[in-house]
Amino acid sequence: MAQPEIGKKTHTKVEDQPSLKGTLASVFLLGFFLIVTWLGVFFLFVDRF
Amino acid sequence: MNTNSMNPKVDRRDGKLTMAHFYVAFIALAIGGLAGLLQTLVRSGKFQLPTWTGYYQILTLHGVVLGLVLTTFFIMGFQLALVSKTSGTFTRKQRLTGWIGFWTMTIGTIMTAIMILTNQASVLYTFYAPLQAHALFYLGLTLVIIGSWIDGAAIIMAYTSWRKANPGKPSPLLTFMSLVNTLMWIVATIGVAATVLFQLLPWSLGLVDRVDVLVSRTLFWYFGHPLVYFWLLPAYMAWYAIVPKIIGGKIFSDSLARMSFILFLLFSIPVGFHHQLMEPGIDPAWKFLQVILTFLVVIPSLMTAFSLFATFEMYGRSKGSTGLFGWVKKLPWGDARFAVPFIGMLAFIPAGAGGIINASNQLNQVVHNTIWVTGHFHLTLATSVVLTFFGISYWLVPHLTGRVLTKAMNKLAIIQGVVWAIGMTFMSGAMHAAGLLGAPRRSSFSTYGGSEQAAEWIPYQIAQAVGGTILFLGIILMLYIFVNLAFFAPKGEEEFPVGEVADQAEKTPMVFENWKLWLGITVLLILFAYTIPFIDMIQNAPIGSKGYKFF
Repeated sequence: MAQPEIGKKTHTKVEDQPSLKGTLASVFLLGFFLIVTWLGVFFLFVDRF
Repeated sequence: MNTNSMNPKVDRRDGKLTMAHFYVAFIALAIGGLAGLLQTLVRSGKFQLPTWTGYYQILTLHGVVLGLVLTTFFIMGFQLALVSKTSGTFTRKQRLTGWIGFWTMTIGTIMTAIMILTNQASVLYTFYAPLQAHALFYLGLTLVIIGSWIDGAAIIMAYTSWRKANPGKPSPLLTFMSLVNTLMWIVATIGVAATVLFQLLPWSLGLVDRVDVLVSRTLFWYFGHPLVYFWLLPAYMAWYAIVPKIIGGKIFSDSLARMSFILFLLFSIPVGFHHQLMEPGIDPAWKFLQVILTFLVVIPSLMTAFSLFATFEMYGRSKGSTGLFGWVKKLPWGDARFAVPFIGMLAFIPAGAGGIINASNQLNQVVHNTIWVTGHFHLTLATSVVLTFFGISYWLVPHLTGRVLTKAMNKLAIIQGVVWAIGMTFMSGAMHAAGLLGAPRRSSFSTYGGSEQAAEWIPYQIAQAVGGTILFLGIILMLYIFVNLAFFAPKGEEEFPVGEVADQAEKTPMVFENWKLWLGITVLLILFAYTIPFIDMIQNAPIGSKGYKFF
């Protein structure tokens, strides 16, 4: 649900902004961090229960 | 943002109202911080409290004074200043309402504090039944909440008169945000008011013998989760609308900021069950539904992260930075008004990740009731939110007292932020780790009869004490800076930074001001998420529990 929102906003900006590449990379890194930590505790769960 | 009605300076009379709130908040910081230090020392196993006090008494003091008093007073004071600045000076009636709210909250705080300090209310900050406190403890907390509603009424009155004076225009962004947070707070606190007035008070007064624990906990968490967003949203206000001005950039999008606040209003309340995932008596299907709603609250936080990255990058690039992350170097790292809240933003990344873990049913089984959770909310509340509040104080206090943040104080403020970050890395990091190894929260030092597993936790508990000590130094620094800015800093004019929206941003649609729509959806979502499970709880209610006083 969040994706269309974010995608749309970036688009409007891209037209008259030089670049938001760093922002794109940052949100990907953030997403990656969320997934890694989640999976870390998930595997701990699988291991223990 | 509409800047027509904006005051160049917060009126002195409104400033006094905000400062009154801040004095109580920072006194709370001193008392609660000391209690926190003692807790970590006790849990290290190397320190014992004098016989006239106990671990659970100081735990209650720490939680209530920092989690409820510091936050509510700071937030209400801050929001009143935001509204006075962006929507115009309060009328006499609005200001008087604010003062009545302040004194009601203060009287409530004093009552509650006396009950805790005389050891008649060591029921921890969540005051879960069947732990039973003295009736005046509950009555005091009720007054704090009623006082905050009266403060909120001043904000609503100011918003209404702005809209009347400016028909067809969207309200100033910071006023809008303060209003959303106030409305969310009012809807949320109905839950805790209900459990206190209808369950805990009559039970502590002896009018009834027994209390339905599940109902009281459900009403508590109906309030308890939006409570954390009530803490967080003022930090978001600063991140969205004030920090861009401080760095010399623009607000990425006014509409995006309003949209994310509306999403918080809608989704932060019907989610309390994710605090009760391990609780019997609630149908798993309803827990599942509320977990889905919880994950919807992740969206506005991700929107916030995106918007902040974009604001920073746009600013950096406008200053000629190149490369993927060249913009990071262009940010004003030497300005405490930016650097300290930035540490808070950074802390919100692991804090948010932890939150998603807590809200996931299976993962919650790993961390539930462990000190991981304590580590989690010391990143969210005690770092992201609190450091942003400190960052706000660095300009707002001198603005209101007609003084300036000197270079020396600015430097000290940055040191304060760094000290906090180091202390919290030790303390919260160790809490997270020990929690994953099963160390319980809310419990004093124990070797659990020489258990091998409990022995594993001890090094982490020592690390927590080290972190807690460093954090206490951070508190002393903060209090020193606050006193300086309030009473001793040189006279002058400190800027109240209010961001402007980027030129390319879309025009703000008026639909965001349609409160019938947003409050309507809020109520519908709450009814949807809570009605049937609540009926189940009442229809299948056990006889209830007598009260317990272990103190």
